[in-house]
Amino acid sequence: MSEITLTINGKQVKGNQGDTILDICTANGIDIPTLCHHKGLTDVAACRLCLVEIEKERGPRPACTYPARDGLVINTSSEKLEKYRRLILELLFTERNHLCAYCVASGDCELQSMAYRYQMDSTRYQYSWPNVIVDSSHPYVVMDHNRCILCGRCIRTCDEITGAHALDFGKRGWKTMVCADINQPLGESSCISCGGCFQACPTGAIFSKGSAYKGRPDECQAVESTCAICGIGCDIKGLVKDNKVVRIDSPDMTRPRGLLCDMGRFGPLYKAAERITTPMKKNTKGQLVDCTYDEAFEAIAKKLGGLSSMAGLASSKASTEALKAFADLMTRTLNSKMVDTLDGDDFRTISAATAQAGGDGNLKMEAKLEDILIADCILVIGAHPIKTHPVIGSYIMRAATKNKAQLVVLDPLRNPFTFRATAWLKPAEGKEGLTIKALGNAILDHGLAKTAGDKNKFGAEFKEVEAKKAAKDLGIDVHDIYKSAEALAEAKNVVIIYGNGILQYKNPDLVTTILNLAGLVSSKPRVISLKRNGNSRGAWEMGISNVKSSVMAEVAKGKAKGLYLLLADDMADSQALADSLKGLDFLVVQASYQSPVTAKANVVLPSLLWTEAKGSYTTLDGISKSTRPMVKSMAEIKDDAATLKEVAGHLKK
Amino acid sequence: MAKVKVATVWLEACSGCHMSFLDIDEFIIDVSKLVEFHRSPITDIKKFTPVDVGIVEGSVGNEEEKEIIEELRHNCKILMAWGDCACFGGVCAMRSSLDKDEVLKYGYIDTASTYKGKIPQSPGVPALLDKVYPANQIVKVDCYVPGCPPEPEAIKYALTELLAGRIPILPSNIMRFD
Repeated sequence: MSEITLTINGKQVKGNQGDTILDICTANGIDIPTLCHHKGLTDVAACRLCLVEIEKERGPRPACTYPARDGLVINTSSEKLEKYRRLILELLFTERNHLCAYCVASGDCELQSMAYRYQMDSTRYQYSWPNVIVDSSHPYVVMDHNRCILCGRCIRTCDEITGAHALDFGKRGWKTMVCADINQPLGESSCISCGGCFQACPTGAIFSKGSAYKGRPDECQAVESTCAICGIGCDIKGLVKDNKVVRIDSPDMTRPRGLLCDMGRFGPLYKAAERITTPMKKNTKGQLVDCTYDEAFEAIAKKLGGLSSMAGLASSKASTEALKAFADLMTRTLNSKMVDTLDGDDFRTISAATAQAGGDGNLKMEAKLEDILIADCILVIGAHPIKTHPVIGSYIMRAATKNKAQLVVLDPLRNPFTFRATAWLKPAEGKEGLTIKALGNAILDHGLAKTAGDKNKFGAEFKEVEAKKAAKDLGIDVHDIYKSAEALAEAKNVVIIYGNGILQYKNPDLVTTILNLAGLVSSKPRVISLKRNGNSRGAWEMGISNVKSSVMAEVAKGKAKGLYLLLADDMADSQALADSLKGLDFLVVQASYQSPVTAKANVVLPSLLWTEAKGSYTTLDGISKSTRPMVKSMAEIKDDAATLKEVAGHLKK
Repeated sequence: MAKVKVATVWLEACSGCHMSFLDIDEFIIDVSKLVEFHRSPITDIKKFTPVDVGIVEGSVGNEEEKEIIEELRHNCKILMAWGDCACFGGVCAMRSSLDKDEVLKYGYIDTASTYKGKIPQSPGVPALLDKVYPANQIVKVDCYVPGCPPEPEAIKYALTELLAGRIPILPSNIMRFD
């Protein structure tokens, strides 16, 4: 990068070849007003507020798109420029219906702040008062076109960061509108509800229903934390007022894991279920009644210690500290041999598979999420990341649309990737293994690239299947298999992603086949398994699921007399979980929400949410992150680890 | 020195700006030493007489309001607009993006709680203008104090400047549109 020198407002300023004038001004603390500019997004010079005077140019030029050159002489402010900026604001205000008095964004609006800055107390132009709609079809965000200034930041965020490109401009000139898909209501479009458009919008044109009127940023406290929901570990910034989360933002949407999703951005603003606010124990009539912590601990100590077979099950949504205290309680205090996580089968499947495939039986052969962004071929097997891990879904879409990565989907079910894919291989349920082998066979047929892996080590099982015959048996077009094989064989950076569609079979051989395929196409295999919960990897690395067989299955057979269930805020399949708790004399459940599971318990202990507690979590690709409490729980709830330690303490007596 | 003569009107308005003016609290004593109110809702004097400063709150949405603002403009040397309605159209201008006749039908006939509604036709009821306009689209306005309502501090600033012989332009830190 060669260095250049410019004269800006009479001062010598340095920059780099390739910077825009705006880049250089921002880097040197020279303020230029902007509205359509957004850090990290392509600049479009739509609003014209950043016009600057450049010597020898015929007229003012937009600083955001003008490439800086050595020797340019620039003025960022003059009487004429200030007049133009005021004119632009007046035109913007008269173009649509900007009524600040009742707007959710008043006090937090870039257009309004700009108008205050330029002391715009009236407009000289006639108002257009167009009749435009308010689209509130979406569950979380409203698009109020009255407030839109057509800056396009929402469109560019959805395209460049989210990768969905659900928004774009429709119609032309005076009638230009931001549209979802082919001018459909946002709630019926291909929008994935990440909320990026909401955060990018400078005005109140796109706002969140859950945050409306709850507090302005200058009335709120900002708390930086991490989202603990799915295992990607996005950085978040919560705005909190009166101990309530008003809004959750990303500190910077354009950096890796900067994009949030509906679960982390909007989920915490809505009530998921009834909270458990105090310990409870079953009375003689079999009803759960409120009690004190001491009463609950005594009830537990009385019954749990004396049982013949004690089991412990934890949700991997719990923090590492909670899981450690849980493991200590179960193995050291209660001497239980039946301790597991609820998603332990996933761990055992993957662990056995990696041992078979030549790995060292642990998770270290997995790739980092950002590898998806540099992939030139992505194979998605039995996974629906847009639903389960939306940020990964975004990465995949971005790689496919921006980097022209080849996308191959192997799944019996349709998902949002299938229309973008190079090929969608659609086996019947249960036939995924055969399909992968057919793919591997076709790859061997096609021939491997120089960056491929060891054919002899990883290719053995693919010689047993013949692609053409397998395709016929599967009812899949053999051309699709060969097209996919070509994409995988010729790519330099392959990433293979698999998820619950594969893990549901609890079959290590099936996962081994996937790992062999990964090892075949690349000497540096990159595989990402989509784990169910925010701390699945943390739990597995602690070894809690390192037991021979599923404790959940044993409990369902009635093999345990007592069970300690650390549920945290896990609400997945609660009825099915409740139904499978059989033959128990005593059940303790530590949970955040009331559910069919807590209804069955003899003692219930409350659990803090990840928004209320400090905790460590390991992302699905092995990065340690931690949460900071954004709000204080309104009830006096002890944190999970402290509760478990006190239970252990009472049992030791 | 003769007191400055002031007349005020509120048009399509909620009177909030006048209330905000009264919120200048004890400063009103200083004001009353320098200013005398003539035609105004505050004095309840209904006839216009020539004044130095005219103040308009509210937007212009019917024939009567148009007549009033024109008469005020005719009778004053400097016209000041208070509030978002007078400066920009404000909440009252929400109906400007809709068709006037549709608005009347919706308001008087289509609402859920209306039974056998009728649009008022009697000669005493002023006709609606096709749109609701900010003051400066009907007459020339000399200075503006936006807000909904403007803070008492902003009104105080504007009055102080005017009384010192200057046309006020609100500084950014007391400018507000809500």
